This record gives sequence, C-alpha cells and structure tokens, in this order.
Amino acid sequence: MSQPRSSYAVGTGLFIVLGFAALAYLATQTSSVANVHQGDSYTLDTQFTNIGQLKERAPVKIAGVRVGQVQSITLAPGREVADVKLSIDKSYNKIPQDSVATIFTSGLLGDQYVGIQYGSAKQVVAAGGALARTKSTEPLEEMLGKFFGAGNVVDNVGGSYAVKADFTNVGSLSVGAPVKMAGVVIGSVQSVHADPVKLNAQVVLAIDKRYNTIPDDSAAAVFTSGLIGTQYVAIQPGGSPDMLKDGDEMILTQSAMQLEDLIGKFLVNGSSTDKKDAGDGKSDTPAGKH
Amino acid sequence: MNQHTPQGNNVVTQSLTQIGNCGLFLLTLLAAIPRSFRYVRETIRQLWFVGAMSLTIIMVCGLFVGMVLMLQLYHVLSIFGGTSASGMVVALSVYRELGPVVTALLFAGRAGTAITAEIGLMRATDQISAMEMMAVDPIAYVGTPRFLAGLIAMPLLCCVFCAMAVFGGHLVGVTWLGIDNGTFWSNMTAQVDVRTDIVNGVLLKSLAFGAVVSLIAVFQGFTTPPTSEGVAYATTRTVVASSIAILALDFVLTAFLM
Amino acid sequence: MTDSVRATPDDATLVRIRGLTTVLNGKVIFDALDMDIPRGKITSIMGPSGTGKTTLLKHITGQMHADAGSILVNGENVAGMSREQLYKMREGVGYLFQNSALLTDFDVFENVAFPLRQHTRLPEVLIRNLVLMKLQAVGLRGAARLMPNELSGGMARRVALARAIVFDPMLILYDEPFVGLDPVALNQVLKLILTLNRTLGITSVLVSHELAAVEQIADHVMLLSNGKVVAQGDPRTIASDGSAWTRQFFGGEADGPIPFRYPAGDYATELGFAEAKR
Repeated sequence: MSQPRSSYAVGTGLFIVLGFAALAYLATQTSSVANVHQGDSYTLDTQFTNIGQLKERAPVKIAGVRVGQVQSITLAPGREVADVKLSIDKSYNKIPQDSVATIFTSGLLGDQYVGIQYGSAKQVVAAGGALARTKSTEPLEEMLGKFFGAGNVVDNVGGSYAVKADFTNVGSLSVGAPVKMAGVVIGSVQSVHADPVKLNAQVVLAIDKRYNTIPDDSAAAVFTSGLIGTQYVAIQPGGSPDMLKDGDEMILTQSAMQLEDLIGKFLVNGSSTDKKDAGDGKSDTPAGKH
Repeated sequence: MNQHTPQGNNVVTQSLTQIGNCGLFLLTLLAAIPRSFRYVRETIRQLWFVGAMSLTIIMVCGLFVGMVLMLQLYHVLSIFGGTSASGMVVALSVYRELGPVVTALLFAGRAGTAITAEIGLMRATDQISAMEMMAVDPIAYVGTPRFLAGLIAMPLLCCVFCAMAVFGGHLVGVTWLGIDNGTFWSNMTAQVDVRTDIVNGVLLKSLAFGAVVSLIAVFQGFTTPPTSEGVAYATTRTVVASSIAILALDFVLTAFLM
Repeated sequence: MTDSVRATPDDATLVRIRGLTTVLNGKVIFDALDMDIPRGKITSIMGPSGTGKTTLLKHITGQMHADAGSILVNGENVAGMSREQLYKMREGVGYLFQNSALLTDFDVFENVAFPLRQHTRLPEVLIRNLVLMKLQAVGLRGAARLMPNELSGGMARRVALARAIVFDPMLILYDEPFVGLDPVALNQVLKLILTLNRTLGITSVLVSHELAAVEQIADHVMLLSNGKVVAQGDPRTIASDGSAWTRQFFGGEADGPIPFRYPAGDYATELGFAEAKR
C-alpha cells in the first residue's frame, strides 16, 4: 500500500505544480504584472484641453515606465479644460516643475495614458502641486483611441438646453449619443432627422445647463470613439464673445468622414474583405427616410 | 422525502433549516482542521481524487469554451471591424466569469457528487461508525480532508481551465481565423489586470466556489439518510444546491469585487 | 494504553448498566434497563427484532447517549466522557459490525492496519508483522492484498474481526455476526469467537438470533424485550425455562407474548364496517 500511496502523492504534486504553472501563465503571459499599483503616492494637478479617451486609473508613465495612475478627471463648469489629478508613486518625487504631461495612446488601439516628459528646471514639483505644461490628445489619436470607449451620457436631470447643428453626413450617429467637449461628456444627441429641403441631416444637441458659456462660433464635429466605438458629437470651442443659447444653430460643422472607416479598416487587419462597406450600414439609422 | 428534516413543515423552513445546519456543519469542519493535520496524507489522497482526477474534464471543457467563445466573438466583433480585440475579450470573460463559474459547476458535477456519494455509502455500510469505533474522528478523517482538498483544488483547476480557454481561443483565433499573433497577445496583456482579473476573478472566486461546493458535498454526504435512496437523493441535491449557490455567490462576489 | 485500562481494579462485571432509559422518536427503547456483563465470558443478548439490541451496543460504546441511567465500562461512566476519553476507551473495545464495515478504499491488509496507523507510530515492519499475525489468526493471511469488494461475506466478517482485535481489546461487541453466512462460514466465525474468548480471555458480547449457534458458545444469555431483560442465565436453562415468552421465542411461534400484529385500532372500525355491524 505504500507504493500506491506515494503515487498519489506524486500525482497530486504534479497536479499542484500544473495548477501553479497555469496561474503563472495567466499572470505573466496574458496580463501585465506592471498594472499592479501599490505603495504611497502623491497627487499632481494637470489640465488638458482634450483628454480623449483617458480614464480614471489609467497609467501615468515616465520614459514608458509606469509610475502612477490617473486619480480623477473632472470638468469645471464654465471652463473648457479638464482637470486631471495624477497619483504618482512617492519614490518618483523628483519631477522638474517644467515637465510636460502629455496624453499618449499605447499603440494604435491601446489604452490612453499620461506620459510625463522631464523639463530642465531645477525646482521639483511639490506634492499636490500642478504641472502647468500639458499636451492634449490629438484628434487622430483620439479617433483611433480605444475599443470600448462609448462615452457615458450625461443625465439631464440638471436641465439642458437645445442647440441645432446641420451635418452633410452624420455617419451612424444616433439619438442618445454623447456630446463632448474637451473629451468630457456635456450632453447628448436629442434627435437626428433628415431635412427635406436642405437634404442634409439636422441634429439637435441637448447640452447640460452647467455648460452655458460655449462660444456661438464653436464647431460641432461627428467623431468616433476609437475604431469601432460609437459615434459622438465633439464641440470645439470658438473665440466669439457671445455664448450659445437654447435654440441656437451651430454654423460650423464637420461631418462624419468616410476616411475614418478607411483608416479603421486598414488598421483592423483587413477584415473588410468579407464585410460590406460599413458606410452602407451606417446610413440607415439617420438617413433611413430618404 | 422530508423525514430527515422533521421540524421543517414547508419549503422555506426546510431550506432555512438546511442552510443553518450547513453553516453549523462548516464550523464543525473548521474546528476539526487541527485534528485533521495528522491525516495530511488523506488530504493529499483526496486532492488527488477531487483535483487531479477532474483535470481531464476541466481541460477539455476549458479548451472548448475558449474555442467557441472565440468563434462567436470573432463573428460579432467583425461587424465592428474589431476582431483583434477578440483575444482580449475571451481572456476577460473567461477570467472574470466563465472560468470560475464553469469550473465550479463542473467540479460540483464531477467531484461534489463523488464526495457526497462516497460519504453517503460509507455511512450506509457503517464505515463511518466503524471509524468512530476505532477511535478515529470521521469528521477529521473523512470530512475535513475532502473539504480542504476541494478548497485547494478549485483555484488550481480554475487556473488550468482559464489557461486552456486562452489556449483554445488562440487556437481558433490565430491559427484558424487568422488574427495576428502579436495583436492577440498585446491586446490581452494591455487589458488584463493582475489584481482585478486574475486575483479577484480567477483566484478569489474559485476559492469561494470551492469552499461552497465541497462544504455542500460533504454536508449532504454526512446528513443524508444512510440508505441507497437517501444517497441518490443527496447526490442530486448536491448538484442542485451547489449550482444555485455558485451562481448566487457569483453575483454577490461580482458586485463586491468588480 | 489498553493495558492501563484493563489493569483497573475489577470485580467480575466489566459492563454495568443501571436504570438505562432511552426514548427514540417517541418509542421507548429501554425502560430502566439493568444489566451486568461478566468479565471474560461470552454473553449473548437475544430478543425480537427491533428491541434495540444494536442500540444497546451503541450505548455501550458511547455512539448514542441515553436519556437516563448509567453505563459503566470497566468502572467508568460512558455518558460522562469527553471525546478524548471516549476515544481512549474505544481503543480498548472491538466492534464487529453486522455488514463488516471494511473501508472500501483500502485492501484487506490496510484495513487491519488502519487502527495501528491511526493510533501508533510503529515502524512499518512491526505493523506488517502484527497485521499478518491477526490475519493468520482469522485464516486470511493469503487474502492480504484483496480489496473488500473481492471478499465473500464470511471472509469480510473475518477481516473485520481481525481489525477489531488488532489492538487486543478487553471487550468485543459482535453485532449480528452470523447474519447472511452459509453454515461453513458461520461455523468459522463461531469458532473464532470462541477461540478469541478462550485463549485471550476477551470479554465478548454477542447480539444474535441464531439460537443454535449461541447455544454452542455463550456462557450467559440475556433475553431483551420491551426495554427490559425478561430472562437471563445459562443458555440451556433459559431454553427450558417454562415462561410463555421464552417458549415462543425459542419455539419460533408466530403469535404469542411477542405479538404478530403491530398495535392498531379496531379493524372493523378502520375499514368502516363498524356501523354496518351494529
């Protein structure tokens, strides 16, 4: 009986080793160990004009190495810049004051992160201090940003005001899609319908009352969050002293472009061959009436 | 059928009685842990039976779950031109939900029933009483080692399941459907987080499920009437109760951990 | 450790039961039962099915507890024992189960070695020798590597007996050791019980219905009915004692003091004929 007993032990040992090997495989091959963030940290304030698809808990990197994460993203009412609080590991407390915080995308389709490029100043930024120099995400990057970036629709409990905008092509923009400024959701699309006279698409945007200081020469553009994400309306503030009011129409608009689809399909491994042109599919939601 | 819970006069009271007894039984099992240290060989032997012997079914099922998931996702994601994300979605859905839940359900069917039937038959054939008579505590010798073995085996089995599912996804996605190998892995590594997905998802959940399934299995074995009918009934009960407990607990854990 | 238990001072009585009362599910099993089991003898407990003979054995070993009364095994009260004391006591008591209760996971050798492995740290060689000695005593040394499911009923019973005596107990309780055995196997077990008692002086308690078998070996017979000892003494005297009860039991008559019918209400009333009859 001692023989079979030891074979149990050997088999069980093998089983345990196999289990741990599988765990090690999961932990090292299919995930990044570096995503674990621990230890004491301090916060830095930064401001971006457009955060793109940056999310809370996104990594903060110096020279490509993770040093912390994004703690919070807020948009102050009446301002067009997003306040981003960075939480950075205590051991990296020698960041020069004139360093530049930039929003990057890891790869074409990866997450966005905040990269800090060191400046040359002698002074070190203090805990709770601010990095004045920032570079926002670029439109192309934002467009290619992320897979599942469907922005959260702001609830309209606080009240909203309506603004009209005409587009020659809204792509697959649908009712309820978010309206963003500087990458932060400020409202939603109230209605999309084709204008029988002008033969274009008339979109009504419901914008949260808190954001009532948008210049009336601001431009509205239809963007896509990431390659396959939902479409949304981005508002690029203009410089006019007059503000948009309820019922106003935005003159400057930029329609959804076929280029987006083209870039999208090139980047996604040429799966377009067996798939009909996405443009056709898109046209049926808003322009189903024509 | 309800002669073993004479105090229960309706389904609710009966279920509550069962749950209460089960909880008390857990305390008994835990209290017997120090005494079961001397039966560590028995724990190893049970680990072999409930763990190593379940490997085949777990590996095969993991492989197929990964493969079918990849196939489905590929077709859905190709609508959005996002097929390169399918590897990542396979990994995330398997780590967070499918891995622990399916492993636990299979474990309940494969090992849980075996434990219940074995203990039930040991009682029916007086083996438990014989141990009592030989001054061997049956809880410490039979109950706790099986419970501990289930507790240890489940996370390990779940890791194997997840690894096989990723492998199956890779097999279908990269080898068959032609997703780029590098994209497959880089998307996965970018999105899978060690803490939220692997520790919280795979390990914690499967540990909890392992505890619940082996507790129910051992409890049913020890409390069923020691007759062939009672054992058959208890085996069914183990599967039913385990499945409900797993899915309910999964909801609670997901709500708390994610 | 069994030696120290056995060495406690003694009278002629090993197990002394006083005023034992047990009620299970509303049924009175023992009603102020008094019983003395003499040391070094074979005592047979007999009685109709369902009188609680097996239950009595379970009381003696502390697997079940009485509602009232005391059971002294070798001078110590079973009911008042802690788990450790109980287990220590049981190491000095062998118990042969009706269906042998061999551990199905282990072969014959390991089954007999099981108590040794659990309670001692003996070297493997010594365990081997002890087990083979006991197996030789029951004539199954050659079957050491068979699994329990490969054994016949009689062989399984003998293996269980070897396991029960592996610690050289002071007391062995046999629960229906002859049930389901063919005449040859029955006589083998019978002979073993007798040999163990006569050579090792092990006190034996035998629960059985097989009157012929009991007559051959028992020194003392106790008849149990309705929770009380109704008759006791030498097997031959008991069999010839003229009470209606013993006559029925040993004669095997279908009806008598041991009723054929389970207590019930009036037959005619239950069938609904009571009105018509009137």
